Amino acid sequence: MASKEKIKVLLAQFPLETHSRGIITVAGMLRDAGMEIILMGNALPEQIVETAVQEYVDVIGISTYCGGELALGGQLMKAAEDKGIKERTSFLIGGIFPPKDIPELKKIGFDGAFLSATKEEIVSCIEGAIAAK
Amino acid sequence: MGSGKTTKEILKEKLASEEHTPLYNPEALEKINKAFDEWKNTVVREQDRENWDVTPKTILGSEIPRGLLYTPLNNEGFDYARDLGFSGQEPFTRGLHANMYRGRSWTLRQLSAAGSPEEVNDRLKMLLERGATGTNLALDLATVQMFDSDEPEALGQVGTVGVPIDCVEDMEKIYKDIPIDKISASIVTHYPRNTSIIFPMYLVMAERRGISWDKLPGSVQNDFIMESVVRSASEYIPPRDDFRVQCDNIEFIRKNVPRWNFITLNGYNLREWGTSGITEMAVAIANGIAILEDMTKRGHDPDWVGERLAFFWSPANDFFEEVARLRAVRRLWYRVMKYRFNAQKPRSMWSKCHVQTSGVSLQREEPMANVARSAYHAMAAALGGAQSLHVDGYDEAYSIPSDEANLLALRTQQVIEAETQITQVVDPLAGSFYVESLTNQIEALILDEIDEIEKMGGLVDVVDSGWLHNKASRYIQKEQAEIADGTIKVVARNYFRDPNLEMPEIWVKEFDPELGKEMADKLARIRSQRNNEKADNTLKALVDTCKGGGNVMEACIECARADVTVGEMRRAFVDAFGLWKTPIFA
Repeated sequence: MASKEKIKVLLAQFPLETHSRGIITVAGMLRDAGMEIILMGNALPEQIVETAVQEYVDVIGISTYCGGELALGGQLMKAAEDKGIKERTSFLIGGIFPPKDIPELKKIGFDGAFLSATKEEIVSCIEGAIAAK
Repeated sequence: MGSGKTTKEILKEKLASEEHTPLYNPEALEKINKAFDEWKNTVVREQDRENWDVTPKTILGSEIPRGLLYTPLNNEGFDYARDLGFSGQEPFTRGLHANMYRGRSWTLRQLSAAGSPEEVNDRLKMLLERGATGTNLALDLATVQMFDSDEPEALGQVGTVGVPIDCVEDMEKIYKDIPIDKISASIVTHYPRNTSIIFPMYLVMAERRGISWDKLPGSVQNDFIMESVVRSASEYIPPRDDFRVQCDNIEFIRKNVPRWNFITLNGYNLREWGTSGITEMAVAIANGIAILEDMTKRGHDPDWVGERLAFFWSPANDFFEEVARLRAVRRLWYRVMKYRFNAQKPRSMWSKCHVQTSGVSLQREEPMANVARSAYHAMAAALGGAQSLHVDGYDEAYSIPSDEANLLALRTQQVIEAETQITQVVDPLAGSFYVESLTNQIEALILDEIDEIEKMGGLVDVVDSGWLHNKASRYIQKEQAEIADGTIKVVARNYFRDPNLEMPEIWVKEFDPELGKEMADKLARIRSQRNNEKADNTLKALVDTCKGGGNVMEACIECARADVTVGEMRRAFVDAFGLWKTPIFA
């Protein structure tokens, strides 16, 4: 992707997630950093991928606090692969989950997995991931 | 609004005609004023004089500017009887009971759950054995969102942040051997719809144990703000319908379970999501007002309803503000009940409250420092006169609390209660020029926000339009920016952060796949054992009740008796009311 274009980010949560402070915070940070944000809210992995395809986003960001990150994260990757967007899309996940899940999350396809992060760390992760695509 | 006047206008009129017992005479005030000016201009350094008012910057703060020193001049019209009085008497600023904690300590109520119904039963009993005086049940995510443990949306999340409940049998396991007619149970049901679904399971459990409903003490949350504003989820019903369900629940519980607090007006979660302590209280009171109006329309006496209303507050870092808030809201609710609704019984003018120390104020970095933060939050709650308290675990930013963190939190409560001696004297900060001035200011600010909401058409309207969502969203982003640039100091995170900071090893609750399977097996067994025709009929009756008149909780009791599951009832509500998409702003 050309670096001068606005990076387009889809932010979503899995269906049952109740905590939205994190995703609102990150949405504000990334918009400040000049990115275009689509705040989708709660949805099943397939629906998230569907929206990502329609909106032709560069990044899918998931916010999770209550578990299910590996199971539903896996479904997200599978759906992205089925729709043929896994290679060109960058995936980030953040929130609260066991630290030992981080390597596993990266293995299934997340370019970044954060338990806490500053704006700079998230932006740099997104830019790095896009550059590597 | 029935009278055509806003609450603020009504209170202004009524208070003007109240008898006055002014504390300060004009002559004394004039002398103090003169001396104050002289002191300020000669003794106080110029830089302090010029920066007399400082705006406190803290997580979840209200940003009420503070002077360097408070005197009677900050509160010239202070009227003892009108504004303070004595504990256990109107206007209840000083506490709901004359003897407060000398009579009975606040309820030590640690929120606990996570794991299977059997494990949670063990944990509740452990906390009761160690001195907890009430139980407080957290539900897992699927249950909060009203999904059965075996629905695809619940994958990987069964039992992670609370206990899963699918049907009455789970309720029986959770409260096994706990004397539910003696120990009060708080059930954190969150939403009205959820309350309609889960609480009947508790009642049917009691029924099957032979305990009559009129003996049961406890509380549910049942606050439509939780569903329509604070929480996000994929399946919500429209706010106006949710408000009706909230009121149906109130009516049913008030009639049939008279010792039960049928709503916990939940300021806590709204504030923790992202509002100041002022908005937290304004929204909860606005909901209380809306409920009383609805109940009056249904033909009920405000005193009958008011007796069982309870509130839930979040005390955060700004210590004196937190004490003042609890005092201010107690007085304001009394005034609303007395002047707006003409309540007659003192008890129905009480704003009983449960308090949970602020979770959002706790940090990942050097988490043991959170023990100190929570202790100050808890101390503010006690000095403010709370009825019931939960102290957060120091591991809040990592996980739901470990048993160790939960016990340490209970111990924090007990140190305050038994060792600090602050419980000996009622409302010990009363009369402080600072605390009284802050109390008055906070009461006025809360009332201003209620006025704003009422002038926009009332609480349901400002929720439906997304006004409240937008307000919180702006607050969250501003706060985040101020933490990032260091305006808000957070110890160990942006203030004296350890350059070699390492995150400690902390126990984190993990998903137990076995539990997910056990719950799914149980659901399969229940669905094959029960009378499915009866279950279907009760569900159809529930849809009809939602669409037509009648009380939805009454219909849900029949569902629970027929072993209908949580997810089945959720879908009935959605069939009847349709879905509403939460407006999210960022």
